[in-house]
Amino acid sequence: MKKRAVAVLLAGVMTLGLSASCLTGCGNDSDSGNAEKVRLMVWSPTADQSKDNGEWLQTCCEAFADQHPEWDITFVYGVMDEASASSQVGQDPDASADVFLYSNDGIAWLTDSKAAAKFGGKYREEIEATNSPELLESLMLGDDLYGVPYTTNTWYMFYDKSVFSEEDVKNLDTMLEKGVVSFPFTNSWYLPAFYVGNGCTLFGDGTDESAGVDFAGQKAVDVTDYLIDLESNPNFRIDQDGSGIAGLRDGSINAMFTGSWDANAIKEILGDNMGVTSLPTFTLNGKEIQMKAYAGSKAVGVNSHSDYMEQAVALAVYLGSAEAQRLHYELLNVIPCNTELLADPEIAADDLVIAQNDTFNYTSILQPFVSQMNNCWTPVENLGKGIRNGSVTHDNAAEQTEAMNEAMNSDGIS
Amino acid sequence: MAGQKIHSAKRKRFITNSVVHVILGILALIWVFPVIWVVLTSFRAEQGSYVSTFFPRSYTLDNYIRLLTDTTILNFPQMFLNTLFIAVFSCILSTFYVLAASYCLSRLRFKMRKPYMNMAMILGLFPGFMSMVAVYFILKALGLSEGNLIKLALILVYSGGAALGFQIAKGFFDTIPMAVDEAAILDGCTRWQIFTKITLPLSKPIVVYTTLTSFMGPWVDFIFAKVICRANSDQYTIAIGLWNMLQKEYIDSWYTCFAAGAVLISIPIAALFLYMQRYYVDGLSGAVKG
Repeated sequence: MKKRAVAVLLAGVMTLGLSASCLTGCGNDSDSGNAEKVRLMVWSPTADQSKDNGEWLQTCCEAFADQHPEWDITFVYGVMDEASASSQVGQDPDASADVFLYSNDGIAWLTDSKAAAKFGGKYREEIEATNSPELLESLMLGDDLYGVPYTTNTWYMFYDKSVFSEEDVKNLDTMLEKGVVSFPFTNSWYLPAFYVGNGCTLFGDGTDESAGVDFAGQKAVDVTDYLIDLESNPNFRIDQDGSGIAGLRDGSINAMFTGSWDANAIKEILGDNMGVTSLPTFTLNGKEIQMKAYAGSKAVGVNSHSDYMEQAVALAVYLGSAEAQRLHYELLNVIPCNTELLADPEIAADDLVIAQNDTFNYTSILQPFVSQMNNCWTPVENLGKGIRNGSVTHDNAAEQTEAMNEAMNSDGIS
Repeated sequence: MAGQKIHSAKRKRFITNSVVHVILGILALIWVFPVIWVVLTSFRAEQGSYVSTFFPRSYTLDNYIRLLTDTTILNFPQMFLNTLFIAVFSCILSTFYVLAASYCLSRLRFKMRKPYMNMAMILGLFPGFMSMVAVYFILKALGLSEGNLIKLALILVYSGGAALGFQIAKGFFDTIPMAVDEAAILDGCTRWQIFTKITLPLSKPIVVYTTLTSFMGPWVDFIFAKVICRANSDQYTIAIGLWNMLQKEYIDSWYTCFAAGAVLISIPIAALFLYMQRYYVDGLSGAVKG
């Protein structure tokens, strides 16, 4: 009996392969008059589609469909976080979404694989009319625009108002005298802020690959020296593996650097005492130097292989419109970037919005997306770790900084 | 005098044994330390990925409850079922493939036998994920890269190359005397009957081993699942789900649930192992006398 059961099971498994094709669902298109039938695949992060968060994507897509009765649109939703969207679309544009949300650092991926559609004509005018030029620059290669921005993407400072006054948070060194500050010292998205602040540059204005990285000379060595002192400051903690937010939670840390993704958790911890502001300055050899973060944007892109280009572009523009951004802000706290929306008094009064936009406008540089940038992450991280481990000291700061600069400029594996 | 000597020899053995056991105990403790930590974290009431104490300050079951009920952002129960489905079927298929191929290579003599074994050896030297992108495009060309067919695609990927890993099972089959097969042939057995009625019952340990490894592979695989599932979140396996929980947007609120998920995925493997463990002992007992 048992053996027969095994035989039946085996046979079952083999036939299953053939019958599995019956499992696939079929589309149920209802015909409605003479409206053009359109099938649009849309990718967004899972939070944008979750019921708990109000189904931002579905709501917007349906509103879009209502505005366009001339098209009978069937939406297919896929889950893809913004950071991986560009590589996934680039890998196989044919089988990817028509419209997708992506973060701008992957733009080179998209254009290299010719997967991103350019925006032009009336759509481009509409986008340009409602967004700042700095922001649009983050989505442009040459003169071509590759997306509709819907938020900026950067990091800034969260602090405990009961410890620091608004005057204190303007300078990192003043803060260190009054409370405990945590900074992601070994994370190369954050650490260059000190170097960039002191005049170090990446690829000229960020787009000139041949200009290379300039993290060399006295200006960089001074920063390395400053960082060594900073690390040994008793009121300074390195933020890694979530230790910063854990410190805020148990009260051992009073300020940390992160972005909007942690805002809700910090709000829960600090309540009304939550302060948020753009980056502080630091005092280097008696001079106040402004820290400068890497900043980017998140945008709605259109797949150049889409079968329904007109509809896809229209949907992308709608998903980046003021209306959709307002809903995004209300449901998911995604900071809007549409200039009309930022003029709204209610939104303009939100500290988080102010902090993020101030950071983007004043205390950041556009994160370069030339492909050489890929070599710039590990060397900085290694320097941060070296300072933490004590292998980078005042004695060898100059040569270690030089080594970092060399590694950032090299093509090799570093 | 003689009595004393025995006494001191006993004592010496006692001391050596104690030292060895203490060392083993310490090693065991170090080894289970991370496991204990994950289990403790899964019951931790404080949120977040970083804690300053080893033992949680307070305990709760909420992490498990949230993991299994809060399905709007990350649908863990569905991922669990997807993975179980894929793992069970790939396990059955690849166990069959491995054992069948091993049996053929151990018992039959045919022209391609040596070339096949050499080829399998060389192919086995390359890591499977080197073919990842090619596999993806082949599956896409076959239309298996969307909807429920993704499950079939993953089953094919996990079990398709299984027959290349015949070496261990073949080695085991080689130790079963040919005399047993010959006796069976004299009694009128076909090759298939020898395989199912003689060889397999005599090789329980290796059947168990093959089953376990072919279940583990698909159960814990991340890389192929990630490449093939892409944006189809309803087809995600637990490996992708757990990875998602560690993304910067979710890590703070989902970390303890991640630990709970890690505990839950170990259950099917442990259950399978406990069930099959007893067959490890039988094996060859009573096969051939003399």
